[in-house]
Amino acid sequence: MKEILAIVRLNRMNQTKRALAEAGLPSVTAKDCLGRGKGLVDLQLLKGAERGYEEAISQLGQSQRLIPKRLLILVVRDDLVEKAVHTLIRVNQTGKPGDGMIFVMPCLEAYRVRTEEYGDIVLDEG
Amino acid sequence: MIMIRSIVRPEKVDDVLAALMEAGFPGVTKISVVGRGKQRGIKIGEITYDEIPKEMLLTVVKDSDKDFVVRTIMKAARTGDKGAFGDGKIFIVPVLESYTISSGVRQNADGGIEEVKP
Repeated sequence: MKEILAIVRLNRMNQTKRALAEAGLPSVTAKDCLGRGKGLVDLQLLKGAERGYEEAISQLGQSQRLIPKRLLILVVRDDLVEKAVHTLIRVNQTGKPGDGMIFVMPCLEAYRVRTEEYGDIVLDEG
Repeated sequence: MIMIRSIVRPEKVDDVLAALMEAGFPGVTKISVVGRGKQRGIKIGEITYDEIPKEMLLTVVKDSDKDFVVRTIMKAARTGDKGAFGDGKIFIVPVLESYTISSGVRQNADGGIEEVKP
């Protein structure tokens, strides 16, 4: 059993949810978050740089602004990790910086609170 | 590869982010959380406040950078010289794989890099 943490664009959430449901992995937890990557993008600076202001261009790459993203948390069976990751990449990939990251981490146990079942049976079928 | 989940005071977040940027680790995700610790919240008079707002920072780094990053975060997040209750906690979680969505590049725990085509 693995935990997948995916950080994606806000405006891709609907497509992501639909694609995951079609892939048989409808269960997901989502959370608003802010973040930055190695790209260091500041939208105002970018706009200024596009218009050719010298000051904005000189400050590119120094901003520390955090950008709103959506954090998705999925717990899936070991054999479905590849399917989930490929679905997420296919839907969210635009090729530009800011598409986000996916992290795969081990998860030891999963329980269903309603029935006290545990193990792979509480997870999505795929 | 490991994920460092640090829970810090909201007023110290900017210091920690600046320290991480200076140390060369720009990639961070920030989530607002509420919680309590060993002191069971703050008791003021009759009322106990046990949902104290904090910020959780997620950073994924190489195993070899772990000690340096943890020390950087602790130095920036501590209040005063000796620190105080409520400064937060840092948890370390193993990460098996990380994917950059824009390029589709996978990085394994041992540092191997591979391109994924969905």
